[in-house]
Amino acid sequence: MSSVLEINDLHVKVASRDILRGVSLTMHSGEVHVIMGPNGSGKSTLAHALTGRPGYEITKGSVKLDGTELLNLPPDERARLGLMLALQQPLEVRGVRPVELLVAAGANPVGIKERIREEAELVDLRPELLDRFVNVDLSGGERKRAEMVQLGILRPKFAVLDEIDSGLDVDALGAVARRLQLATTQWSCGVLAITHFRRLLQELTPDVIHVMSEGRIVTSGGPELAETLERDGYEPFRSLSD
Amino acid sequence: MGRAVTLEKVQKPHMSTFFDSATTYIESTPGAAERLALWNAFRSVGLPTVSDEVWRYAPLSQLTLDSFQVPTSPGSFPSSALSDKLTKNASFVIRTIDGFLTDSPSLPSGVTATVVSSGVSLGERSFLDRYGDDAFALLNGASSPGTLEIRVAAKVHVEEPIFLVHAASNSSSFPSVHVCVEVGAHIDIIECFVGGRGSLVVPLSEYELADNASLNLATYQQLNATAWHVARSTALLHRDSRLHQSVIGLGSHYNRSRNDAEFLGTGAENELRTTFLGSGEQVHDFRSHQLHKIGRTRSTLLSKGAVSDHSRSVYTGLIEIENGARRTDARQTNHNLLLSSTAHADTVPNLDIRENDVVCAHASSVGPLDEMQRWYLESRGVPRDEAERLMIQGFFNEMTDSLPGEVAHLVELEVGKILASTHVVAS
Repeated sequence: MSSVLEINDLHVKVASRDILRGVSLTMHSGEVHVIMGPNGSGKSTLAHALTGRPGYEITKGSVKLDGTELLNLPPDERARLGLMLALQQPLEVRGVRPVELLVAAGANPVGIKERIREEAELVDLRPELLDRFVNVDLSGGERKRAEMVQLGILRPKFAVLDEIDSGLDVDALGAVARRLQLATTQWSCGVLAITHFRRLLQELTPDVIHVMSEGRIVTSGGPELAETLERDGYEPFRSLSD
Repeated sequence: MGRAVTLEKVQKPHMSTFFDSATTYIESTPGAAERLALWNAFRSVGLPTVSDEVWRYAPLSQLTLDSFQVPTSPGSFPSSALSDKLTKNASFVIRTIDGFLTDSPSLPSGVTATVVSSGVSLGERSFLDRYGDDAFALLNGASSPGTLEIRVAAKVHVEEPIFLVHAASNSSSFPSVHVCVEVGAHIDIIECFVGGRGSLVVPLSEYELADNASLNLATYQQLNATAWHVARSTALLHRDSRLHQSVIGLGSHYNRSRNDAEFLGTGAENELRTTFLGSGEQVHDFRSHQLHKIGRTRSTLLSKGAVSDHSRSVYTGLIEIENGARRTDARQTNHNLLLSSTAHADTVPNLDIRENDVVCAHASSVGPLDEMQRWYLESRGVPRDEAERLMIQGFFNEMTDSLPGEVAHLVELEVGKILASTHVVAS
């Protein structure tokens, strides 16, 4: 069954500052949407607000997954409905192992260790690193691969990736992008990727690119938009946010 | 010091059943003269009060010695599910009830367990010299039915752990244990304290490790929530000896655990790990004193505990390095997790260093669960309660990971049980 994620006129404040000022976006299962934009345009705020991060105050708007309003729900219920955020800097949770996290998050415990190993191999991550506590003593690249392992086990309807490519070397970036691309066909995962860089798009084929500036999406287009951005930068789009 | 009032109370025989029972017991027990000397020392010291700095967190106003009697024989203690589980697969289980040795199996070759006089210290210092200002240790010396001495002969490596189950009935008890590990020997001991509804349990333990001896010791205190537990242990560590000591306190109303180590020979090492979880109105009061008399010795202390509900904890650790104890390496770490806004934890590291050529470090923290970590787990679909439970158990994992399997499993279960009935507040 095809799912739909609808973000409508979303306004968000962080520390009393208006960061998002009316973001609207609709995406469907299996689609890859990419949000690009300069620093401070609100890209990461959008990602975190979707999952209910503490300190992010929604002042207006709606986010619906298959018609269910997410903004009234606690983070875990949003996740269980099928929304997952992969973080730019995945947090360490000392004392908790990935398998415990995944089972507590609702993954089927039967055969989970084998599935974790398979998922680790998909992103060229040494499986024994996942015997450590969540993200503890992992490099930046290993953490992001580990996020992809969680994604592969939890199989969300929509994955939101907050600058998953930042700080990654070419090999890690390729592994992460290929995993996401595969997810779009494996279980029709919708991917909403936030990035500064075009290089993610060399292995992850976007259906739609959105450009964000000053808390709004100022233009959307096909993959060719990335080339325009590469050539002209964000400057021409800034005026569109006024 | 505010002791006179309490002392007077103890000295009135007609009002004090504890006094009566103690003097009757002492007069009719072997070693009466020595016991009497300790009893008199106790009387002159008197019970501490909260105006004594080292007792300021103890709810001593609620402690009435007259509620107890010195036991003359083991009280009745039917069974304990905890100790049954702990010793299910054990080959060697020594049992005491109210400090009386009740069951001593045949032990591995080279290991003996005998009852010797109480009120006697290992090493060069006399009992009175060592404990002359410690009312509870003096009470133990005067009133214990005897010291259980476990001795491991030189060069004997005991493969299987020896279990030591101390059960308490509902009055006072004064278990006394010495563990003497002779040159080059090794033993694992797993000790637990159970029972003790409405009791006062005052264990006093000494461990002496000869050159190149090693002892792995885990002590798990799971007394009834109405018990008073006032324990003290002292380790004497000779050249190249190694003591790995874990102390877990989950039970009792007031849990005091003082664990000292004296480094007497170069190369001696002590790793002390203490763990507690407070709930209800519990007070956990941990003390340690690492006395480095000799150089090239190493102490590592890790204390991790959590307090919930209205419970509170204090950790006071002293590292003392004597002049000339060069290249001593002494480290203390104490982390406390606050699980409710009405719980309280204090951490008081103290250093007394009289030598320059040493490495000495301490770190401590007191704080609630990390809100961002919790959100991270929640954002994966973990419900809040479950996320908190995982994080708290994770906090304790570092401690349970180093425990013998039998103990770790039981501690994890008990921690889970306590947390299930407590309301957790994050930052």
